Parts: sequence; C-alpha cells; structure tokens
Amino acid sequence: MERYWQIEKVNLKYHIPLHVLISVLLLLISPFLIGVANLGAQDTAKALEMYVALIGIVLLPPVFLPEQNHDIRDLIYTKYLNGTAIYLVRILGNILLMAVLLGLYIGMLAYHGCEFPAGKYFCGTLTEMLFLGGLGVFFYGLCDNLVIGYMAPIVYYIAAIGGGEKYMKMFYPFSMVRGSYGEKVWLAFGAVILVIGGVWLRCRRKRRLVR
Amino acid sequence: MLGQLFVRECRQTAKSLIYWLIVLILIFDFTTQLGEMEIDEEPQPGQESYGYRQSEDPDIIMRSTLGQLTEEYVRENYTTYPIGFYKNVTLNEKDDARIGQILEETAGIAGRESAEQVREEWYAAQNGQDSADNMENMMYQEPLKVKPADGLTYEHFTELMDEADKILGGGSNYGKEYREKNAQVPMTYEDAVKEYGALIEEDRLTGGYARLFCDYMVIFLGILPVFLAVTRGLRDRRSMMQELIYTRKCSSLTVMVSRYLAMLVMLTLPVLILSLNPLLKCMSYAGKAGIAADTLAFVKYTFGWLFPTIMIVSALGMFLTELTDTAAAVLVQGAWWFIAVFGGVDRLSGGMYGWNPMPRHNTELNWQGFHDGFAQLAANRLFYMAAALLLVALTVFIYSQKRKGRLHIRGKILANRKSKS
Repeated sequence: MERYWQIEKVNLKYHIPLHVLISVLLLLISPFLIGVANLGAQDTAKALEMYVALIGIVLLPPVFLPEQNHDIRDLIYTKYLNGTAIYLVRILGNILLMAVLLGLYIGMLAYHGCEFPAGKYFCGTLTEMLFLGGLGVFFYGLCDNLVIGYMAPIVYYIAAIGGGEKYMKMFYPFSMVRGSYGEKVWLAFGAVILVIGGVWLRCRRKRRLVR
Repeated sequence: MLGQLFVRECRQTAKSLIYWLIVLILIFDFTTQLGEMEIDEEPQPGQESYGYRQSEDPDIIMRSTLGQLTEEYVRENYTTYPIGFYKNVTLNEKDDARIGQILEETAGIAGRESAEQVREEWYAAQNGQDSADNMENMMYQEPLKVKPADGLTYEHFTELMDEADKILGGGSNYGKEYREKNAQVPMTYEDAVKEYGALIEEDRLTGGYARLFCDYMVIFLGILPVFLAVTRGLRDRRSMMQELIYTRKCSSLTVMVSRYLAMLVMLTLPVLILSLNPLLKCMSYAGKAGIAADTLAFVKYTFGWLFPTIMIVSALGMFLTELTDTAAAVLVQGAWWFIAVFGGVDRLSGGMYGWNPMPRHNTELNWQGFHDGFAQLAANRLFYMAAALLLVALTVFIYSQKRKGRLHIRGKILANRKSKS
C-alpha cells in the first residue's frame, strides 16, 4: 500500500498539478460564462453536463504522459513494479480529484440557490466525466499519442452538441437535461471498458517494447 | 528549397494517422449535417408559412419585446448573452418582483398568473385549445406578442427595458442591441418571393448553399487544424530529430513556412472535395430550372470564409506548440472554440458576424443580411488572416532562437542555470 501511495504522491507533486490548475480555473471562471445561481433542475443539469464535465478531458487522458518519452518508458519498464499498477493508481487518484472538484462545484451550486437532486447529478456528471476521460485514455493508449487522446473526447463532445442524440442514442452525454438517467448507465459501462482497454493497450505496447 | 520541403511536408501529412482522422471527422460532419440537403423550391401562393423576418416598426418592437418578457417571466428563467455567451438567469425574489412591476407598467399584466393566462390565450387562439399546452407545438407557432399598456411611450418603454436588462446582468433580450431582433414578423408570400429571388439572382443559387456549407464546416474547422499542428510540432521531438533538423542549412523561415503551407493545403483539400457534392446538387437543380448558377461559388466561399479560420487555428497550434513543447494548444484552442461557438448561438441566421473566429450563417437564404454584414465579415476574415501571419512570424522567431540554443522551456532552462552556477 505504501508503494501505491508513493506513486500517487509523485503524481500529485509532479504530473497532475498543471492539469488540476486548468480544471480549477475552468470552474472558477464558470460564473462569468454560464448561470450558476437560482437555477432549476434542467439548467443545473445543462451547466454540469455541458461545462463542468469537460474537466474529465483535462484530468484523465494525461495519465500516460510521464512515460511519453520512450527512454523514460524503457527505464520505468525495467522496474519490478508492473506498469499497469502505476497507471491504475494514477487513474484512480485523478478520478478522486475529479470527484472532489465536482463535489465542491455542486456544493457551490446548491449554496447559490440551485434546486436539483444533488446525488443523482453528482453521479451522472461524474459518469460523463469518466466517459470523456475514458475515451481519451483509450485513444491515447491505442495510438500512443496524447493529441489523439484529447481529440477523441473533444470530437465526441462537439458531435453531441451538433444534434448527436440521433446518432449516439444510449451514449448521448447530455441526457440529464431531459431528466433521463438510463444513458448514464451505458456511459459508466463504456467508461470502465474504455479505461481498462486503454491501460491494456498501453501495457501491450510495453511488452512489445520490452521484447 | 521551400518547394521541396513543402512537398515533403505534404507527403508526411498524408501518411499521418491524425490527418486521416480529421478527414473522417469532416466527412462525418458533412454527411450528418448536409448529406440530405435539398434545394429550396420557389414559394407558392397559399402556403401555410413562409418563415419570419425582422421589423423596424416601434409598435411591433414593443409588442415582440413585451411578448418575450411575458414568456420569460412566466418561465421564471431569462436567457442572456452577457459576454456574447449563452447564460440562463433565474432571479431572486426582489429582482423578480421588480420585473413583475416593469411588466405591469409596460403591458398592464399584473402578476404571474395573469401573464400565464395571456400566454395560454395567445397560443390557444392560434391552434385551438388542445395545442395550447403542447410545448412542442409552440415551436411552430407565432411567438407571443403583447400589446403595450395605454399611454406607454416608446422612450419610457426603452428606459424600463434598459432597467430590466440591467437587473438581468446585461445581454438580455431587453437591452438595446437585442430589442430590435425580437421584432420578428411572419413573412408574406411577397416577402418570401423576394427572399427567394435574392437567392436565385444575387447568390445565383450556389452562393446561398456555399454559405450554408461553410456554416456547418466551420464548426469543426474551428478546432480540428490544431490537432494536426500540435502533432506536427511535437513529431520532431518525439522521434528525437529536433536537434538534427536544427543543424540543417535550411532557414527557420523555410522550415516553418513549408510546414504551415502544407498544413493549410492538406486541410483545405478535403473541404474542397466535400463541397463538390452540394455543388453538383445545385448545378443539377439550376440546369433544370434555367438558373445561371455560379460554378466557383463554393471555391470562393471556402477560401473567403473557411480558409482564414483554418489559418488562425493552425497558426495558434504551431505557435503554442513551438513555444511550450507541449500539447497545451489543444486545451487553449478547445477553450476558444467553446466560447466562440456558444457566443455565436444567437447569430445563426447570419448578418451579425462580429469578431467570431467561426462566423455563422445557418441558412441558404438571408442574402440581404449577408450583404449588409459583408464589410464586418471581410474585416473579421482579414483580421484573422493577419493574426495568423503574425503568429507564424512569431513561431519562426521562436524556432530560430531554439536553433541557437535559446528558449528551451522543457527542463533546459533549469539545467542551464544549474550548470552555470
């Protein structure tokens, strides 16, 4: 356990602070861009699903970034500890960070008089964040390219805005706005598959490199 | 040298995975948005509706604005664009009460119940009692108009609306800028014929559809080029070729300009190819209807409307990547795209292009709006082209400094400082 905590400490100290800072800035400037006070359930869902969930793209895909340099990657892979464990610790740590930021934001919305089912919205938004981030992790792992890791969730988001409900069906990310949560179950399932798939692809690449 | 490097860069781009992903996304965008595009038929007398147009009559402006105020007062929810960005405002009790007073003073409607009754009566009168409660049907009905209170002057009306706008934080439907936009009146058959005539005579059919094509394509072209620019910028470092290229004879200007030009050409090419589909549809229709269509309209609009957007997004991507040696440009461009797209949602009908890097005109019609806003559009496009060239010049400068061993941000500055101390 101590070993995993060390991995997370290094992650928090060196790898993720810039991404956390960007996420915090995104949340802090939100009152200038979108309504955050006295909102009804539908408008609160819109703010959470269409704006706050974007921090999933900022926080999750860069989990493979510290080993982007092949020399560093080769060095890391010579160590006793499995690379999969390192990635999973970072992912879980970043998910925890997302949950904390989301929780604080939801608390701020409630404080400013927004009326909404907090528990449901928390789970629904976190699920969307995980799916957006999971898309990034999967494509980063698949293509070994952070830019594609960002591109996939951004394109998914834009496609969803541009009338994607017709094509995305159960993977439509903004379903809470119309009071539907069924899609979130699919998104959660998809997010788990994507994250596991992304880590597997990354580690499969590692084995190939080691050989 | 520039020509050789340009061809080499084009070849490299054509082999890049990210480039083909971008092409696939553009095809997806085109197919989903314009794949089933049909050419407008000439309006016929006796049609159920001919759409809407903007009026300049003060009485109509007052009726329309008060209609909007009544609608939003009933919903207890107001749409505003304080910095050109969509925002929903829900008021506290005190401000809500003041809006109620303003509505009573301007329209003689006292309280939310009365306002709701006015609204229901309006929609019931249009389509019968059953559809009054059907919110989906309301989209196809004439928006609510409310008669101003007796004795209300236009000056006092504007004062009170300005106050309402202030209460809502600015950028509401009641501010000076948006009030006139509220005055939408149904078009008559004659109006519709005039509008269609402009599409055929002024736009020569293809011009209108080229604008619609640009409107849909600009959404994705407002972000996709950054992915290509960042990938290209990081490729040398990833393949550990950066230092080797630095030592080559070729000037920094030639290296960067050849990359930039290759990106622009390779990104514009699929757009031009995709434009052939709507062009052929238009030409086929024009041939049958005897319209002298402009064959080059899609090319003109692609270069005039879309090319500056491709230029600025690519240049920003190149600049930030060269400056930081990271993929930060993706996040910066993502944020800019978000603000630009949501900032333009109230300007979809065209004519109000402002300084949005992704100008919208979501209709093949409204030639008049395009014509009136052309100077602004041209200034917008020229500004972004100039900004793009400036960013490219800065990128060349940074690249040349790096070749001289300066401006290495990723760890090198610290390393240098340590070695010197």
